[in-house]
Amino acid sequence: MRKKWLLFSIILIALLAACGNTSSNETALSEVTEKPWSDIESAADGTTVRLFMWGGDEGINQYIDEWAAPRLKENYNIELERVPMDTGEILQKLQTEKKAGKSEGTIDIIWLNGENFKNAKENSLLAGSFVNALPNFQEYYDTDDPAFQTDFGTSADGMEAPWGKVQFVFHYDQSKLDTPPSSFEELKSWVEQNPGKFTYPNAEDFTGNAFLRHVLYAKAEEPSAIYEQSLDEERIAATADQTWSYLEEIESNLWRKGKHYPNTLAELDRLYSQGEVWMTMGYNEARAESLIEEGVFPETTRSFIMEPGSIGNTHFLSIPFNTTEPEGALTVINFMLSPEAQLAKLKPDYWGENTPISLDKLPENMRKKFKAVERGESVLSQKKLEESFLPESEASYVEWIKDQWFNEVVQQ
Amino acid sequence: MNIKKMTFVMLALLLFIMPVLLLLLQSVSSPWRFQSGESFHFQIESFQVLWSAANLLEATLWSIVVGAGVLILNMAVGIAAGKALSTLSFKGKPLLEALFLSPVLIPVLAVAMGLHLFMIQAGLADTALGVILIHLVPTIPYSIRIFHNSYAQLGKHMLEQPVVLGAGPLQQLFTVELPLMKPAIRSVTFLTIVISLSQYAITSIIGGGRIVTLPMIFFPFLDTANTSVMAAFAVWFAMIPLAMYIIVEAFILLLPYSRMPWRNTR
Repeated sequence: MRKKWLLFSIILIALLAACGNTSSNETALSEVTEKPWSDIESAADGTTVRLFMWGGDEGINQYIDEWAAPRLKENYNIELERVPMDTGEILQKLQTEKKAGKSEGTIDIIWLNGENFKNAKENSLLAGSFVNALPNFQEYYDTDDPAFQTDFGTSADGMEAPWGKVQFVFHYDQSKLDTPPSSFEELKSWVEQNPGKFTYPNAEDFTGNAFLRHVLYAKAEEPSAIYEQSLDEERIAATADQTWSYLEEIESNLWRKGKHYPNTLAELDRLYSQGEVWMTMGYNEARAESLIEEGVFPETTRSFIMEPGSIGNTHFLSIPFNTTEPEGALTVINFMLSPEAQLAKLKPDYWGENTPISLDKLPENMRKKFKAVERGESVLSQKKLEESFLPESEASYVEWIKDQWFNEVVQQ
Repeated sequence: MNIKKMTFVMLALLLFIMPVLLLLLQSVSSPWRFQSGESFHFQIESFQVLWSAANLLEATLWSIVVGAGVLILNMAVGIAAGKALSTLSFKGKPLLEALFLSPVLIPVLAVAMGLHLFMIQAGLADTALGVILIHLVPTIPYSIRIFHNSYAQLGKHMLEQPVVLGAGPLQQLFTVELPLMKPAIRSVTFLTIVISLSQYAITSIIGGGRIVTLPMIFFPFLDTANTSVMAAFAVWFAMIPLAMYIIVEAFILLLPYSRMPWRNTR
């Protein structure tokens, strides 16, 4: 009986909430961004700002806790609190709060891109456009860069600020092979000569899916045929067929004869660490550095990229619709975009991640500092990375590849 | 030592002691690579990573607070419901028993969204109390079950005797029932704490990042390939149920008719 009552009340509340007025915070943020920047900064004084972000990398965590937080405290008197939570759950929380009409949330900044941003934007979980109000963005970034305008094909509309960018690279052990393959055809013949020494995470995994998109790019006439156009299954049918047949052809020579694919990148990394497979891969061209230092990867690990290039993407900071500290959030994001913060992020001490900042727009001495950063031996040169950069395709390709891969490759 | 005892010791060694030892070793050594030609490398860096996680102590404290709250509520509800189920008979009892078990059968995540909505309305979202309440969902069915069985085992006569002798319900609980149900109390303690401690998704949704428990720091690290750091986390993780178990064991000693371990038992 009590259970019934509870169920009933939950349904009732859900209905009430659905009828209720959805919050009017969107206007609040645009009112804030209209104020002069100095007013925003002084209003942010003494606030506590909660940054919700995925917390599975100690380098990233330390960058926030040990580098950024003390400086924010000192310069702006802002208490930055990092809260570890998966982005999917953050969005679910916001979604429910939106439904319940909770206008005073606990989240002030979120870290996201791609599918998550698309989700958040479509369900209007974000506070609104703010990027152009950030002085550091105006001064040091190429504001018209398509990488900031669209995020996996979704128009950003100024609702998220570019925080960093990463490129996809493959890793190999120099002591085991001299020259890594330079194209997918070469990879195929390498796999034939070295059966069982290569595999990729399955399509559900973020990295595995990106690997498959690389194959798709490679099989298209031009990679731009994929990333410049929205998903049209008929148009890319021929490319898709080639992609699946390529994957089937290499399958029998993969690790465990392709009967099992690693579920996550972490699994593939462990296989590589144990020498079971000789290659691994992943977003963030510098990610091998910290793993080498920790002794997980052999010291002879180097990275390589193959024709037609390597996919890269930008990740962003955004403000949820029910933040209670819009001024504090804006000040923190502006700080995260500053040359100093980006320089510290680029250095391999904490995170070692590439910056979306425009080097040409920096003052001379700052530019020198950026150029002087030694990212480590396992990281490819900036020139090589830039030359081979390929943008992400639309987010819908990710889902499509997930489904198709299971049908075409796993079930064959 | 007879053969049965031998097999028990061997099995325990193989299945329990060895894995734990391996875990401990892994936590204080560098990640081990097959055929890397390196031998055991002692290091405490993984524990330094652990300590440097800024909110580790806070999270540990929250985990203990939440765990203790969940345990106390579980004991209260479990004992009351268990006793009622085993002593009373009424219409629709099987149905009620099935209802009590239903939270185990329905995935918590399926109802988390609705419960979150409810908690926001009730002002319980983002509070420790809310987290404790949501942790009751996956734990309480077990507690009720365990105490139900335990009361059934005590038998009707054991429960009638104190009433005949004129004990009130509370006196009866503390002098007869609890001392006789020590194994049940131990099982409930361990089960409840371990289940509560490993709730990631519902804690993060209901706790909303205000209540950061250990799994919220620990689980994202499952994505790393660094097995040493994970081992160090796992060792730290195991300390909490162990500590809680010892505390509860101390409380059990306070019950009447407990044999004090330091007393001569001849």
